[in-house]
Amino acid sequence: MGVINLGEPRVGTISRVAPKPIKFVLNWGRRYSLWVFNFGLACCAIEFIATSMSRHDFIRLGVIPFAPGPRQADLMVVSGTVTDKMAPAVKRLYEQMPEPKYVISFGACSNCGGPYWDSYCVTKGVDQLVPVDVYVPGCPPRPEALLHGILRLQEKIAGESLGERYGPASPVPVAQPQAESRPPSPAVLRRPLQRPPQPTSADRPEDPPEASPENPPENPPREPPQPPESSSGQRPDAAPRPGPLPPPNSVRGPADPSEPNLFLP
Amino acid sequence: MGTERTVAVGIGAEELATADMTLNIGPQHPSTHGVLRLRLTLDGERISRAEPIIGYMHRGAEKLFEVRDYRQIIVLANRHDWLSAFSSELGVVVAVERMLGMEIPERAVWARTLLAELNRVLNHLMFLGSYPLEIGAITPVFYAFRERETLQRVMEEASGGRMHYMFNRVGGLKEDLPAGWLDRARAAVREVRSRMSDIEWIIRGNEIFRARTRGVGVLSPEAVLQYGVSGPVARAAGVDFDLRRDEPYLAYGELFGPGRPGRVVRRTEGDCYARFECLLDQVYVSLDLADACLDRLADLPPGPINVRLPKVLKAPEGHTYAWTENPLGINGYFLVSRGEKTPYRMKLRSASYNNIQVLSELLPGNLVADMIAILGSMFFVVGDIDK
Amino acid sequence: MGRVGGTHTSGGVPGIGLAKGLAVTLRTMTRRSVTGQYPDTSPELPPRSRGVIALLEENCTVCMLCARECPDWCIYIDSHKEAVPAPEGGRPRSRNVLDRFAIDFALCMYCSICIEVCPFDALFWSPEFEYAEYDILDLTHERDRLREWMWTVPPPPAHDSRAERPKELSAAEGAEGRPGRGPRG
Repeated sequence: MGVINLGEPRVGTISRVAPKPIKFVLNWGRRYSLWVFNFGLACCAIEFIATSMSRHDFIRLGVIPFAPGPRQADLMVVSGTVTDKMAPAVKRLYEQMPEPKYVISFGACSNCGGPYWDSYCVTKGVDQLVPVDVYVPGCPPRPEALLHGILRLQEKIAGESLGERYGPASPVPVAQPQAESRPPSPAVLRRPLQRPPQPTSADRPEDPPEASPENPPENPPREPPQPPESSSGQRPDAAPRPGPLPPPNSVRGPADPSEPNLFLP
Repeated sequence: MGTERTVAVGIGAEELATADMTLNIGPQHPSTHGVLRLRLTLDGERISRAEPIIGYMHRGAEKLFEVRDYRQIIVLANRHDWLSAFSSELGVVVAVERMLGMEIPERAVWARTLLAELNRVLNHLMFLGSYPLEIGAITPVFYAFRERETLQRVMEEASGGRMHYMFNRVGGLKEDLPAGWLDRARAAVREVRSRMSDIEWIIRGNEIFRARTRGVGVLSPEAVLQYGVSGPVARAAGVDFDLRRDEPYLAYGELFGPGRPGRVVRRTEGDCYARFECLLDQVYVSLDLADACLDRLADLPPGPINVRLPKVLKAPEGHTYAWTENPLGINGYFLVSRGEKTPYRMKLRSASYNNIQVLSELLPGNLVADMIAILGSMFFVVGDIDK
Repeated sequence: MGRVGGTHTSGGVPGIGLAKGLAVTLRTMTRRSVTGQYPDTSPELPPRSRGVIALLEENCTVCMLCARECPDWCIYIDSHKEAVPAPEGGRPRSRNVLDRFAIDFALCMYCSICIEVCPFDALFWSPEFEYAEYDILDLTHERDRLREWMWTVPPPPAHDSRAERPKELSAAEGAEGRPGRGPRG
């Protein structure tokens, strides 16, 4: 098949070297006009559609579900089971998206295989194929969970710098949105506090815990999602935590040319 | 992708040698709502051969059933056809209960019937919304999802899940219905019924919609029987077969019959419009059945909703086949047990798999533009095809 | 009652179908919007909603039933045995002490089997859903975080009036008045 190689859609130099106020404006624009391309694969796709419908309506948040195809999209939502047969198509469509591009992995199947973790034909997580920005848990996640994932992505976009995201590793630390600095969502604050059935010990916190991850001191520090070499200056204690899963593919932007691309025919 | 060659356009083209063009639709294509791939061979605008290529969503569910116990199977069973989760779990537990010779409490029977019918409405609403969307009418899907949210709220209140209920257990339901739920379910059913007229008004009589679907993709009853097509697609072609009436399970025996709310919706045209109308009218029937179940549940004497199970549930040695009328057609489980806590083999007969095969017969002769109308009217779920 | 379709015949006034559709649109315009303003208002979730699993650590006896029954094997439990000094005249006993309890919510399929099998009510559903993460490793909630979800667990709804009286209720009433409601087992 004669494939015309158009090359990777890249970020221009101007948006890389732009001064900070300009970057702020650019990020602000990107944040609230996410043209989304739904990679609807399974059950989660139905919840994605439900999110785009009148009850939840993510256009309120600036997510526009009318991208005619991946070439016009900023955000890909992988919703559903990625099978090994489908994996090349996922990779290929991701590569067609222009930069800056973002991926939300929606649901257990695309996070890491989910219910089909021991299946012979299911890819164990879409992050093996493409870099993922936000993981939304659930099987399927409820529409509000996707909205929450979109909000988290918008926070990430607001704090990022494309130069560091796509360029060579720079000594300037990437401004990573931190879980601690994130304001708790009003949804959590307004929900009445429920007492646990057995409040046994007195040393429990009295205030309602927010949905955001606390960072208890005894917890091992979390690995930042970005390549550690570019952000290690910010968190001196960042060390990969021994976890049940290998760390997700943290390759950003175009794949290393020396690496054989197994997914293109 | 995959273009062979096209020549001969213009005056006198018929005298020149023409070549067929192969066109791949999908696997990721908006009209396939999922990852179905079609390889079409085109002669000009007309489809001369169509071959559905499946397997993009194959997740090996049948193999996974073999290493899971019967409670864990329910979790997977509701995920192959994600739009009819409740009915799919139902088939599994019906099969196991049959193997065990288990008697189900009456309240569980009626509650299951009720939830299965609500699930059917949810499924049909999805297609009532997405089908017009595929052929250009954007609005109905908003109304359909508004109704879906109303019902999903009720389902979530009872089961805890919006889509995958995981509410069936061998011997009944997981837990009893919450207090006051019957009234809220009744209110939801009433609300959906009163607003179904919106969907009906907006699309049923619409001239454009009729022009796109009338007489397009006519499926003959013979093809239905040969390919094992079932469900609303088969009934729209005039095949009068509905397991709820013809081989009643759960409480359907008491619901179908003269003077009872159960009716089998049937059309004889077999075209896309008939399939759509079948679906639309089935929603009304299902809402009536749900009302009848709600009435009955309110009258039943107090009692349990499940059976106390042994710690380790083992189906006795043997085999059975349990089929249910899922929203999209016949869904069957062939369960072979060797007396262990996992099945030896569990074959899944899914509705969409058979329904989609007929595309290779249905599509040839039609225009490419009609392909989307036909594809959308076959009401399939890709996970149900590929399992 | 439902009605049999086919009332909209094609023989009517041309364009009546389109006009009817527009009438629905106009009617809907006058109605209230159904959109929920999620980030500003929280959705009202039913108590049974399966959002996240909370752990009441004090009730856990490290019986491993949840981890064994989980279809996904997404629960990680580590424990060690501790000798409890023998009471007067008794044999020394050993007790399981929980070292790690983690649930991988990236893998969890929200089937609620673990909660069902837990013999000592250490696991509960909470309807919370706001825990999307940038890093998949953060979706593995360790015991502290699981314990914190406990504060969001709603009380279970009452059962239908025709339901059988739950066995736990009569058992709990029998246990009432007995002192010491600490971890059993």
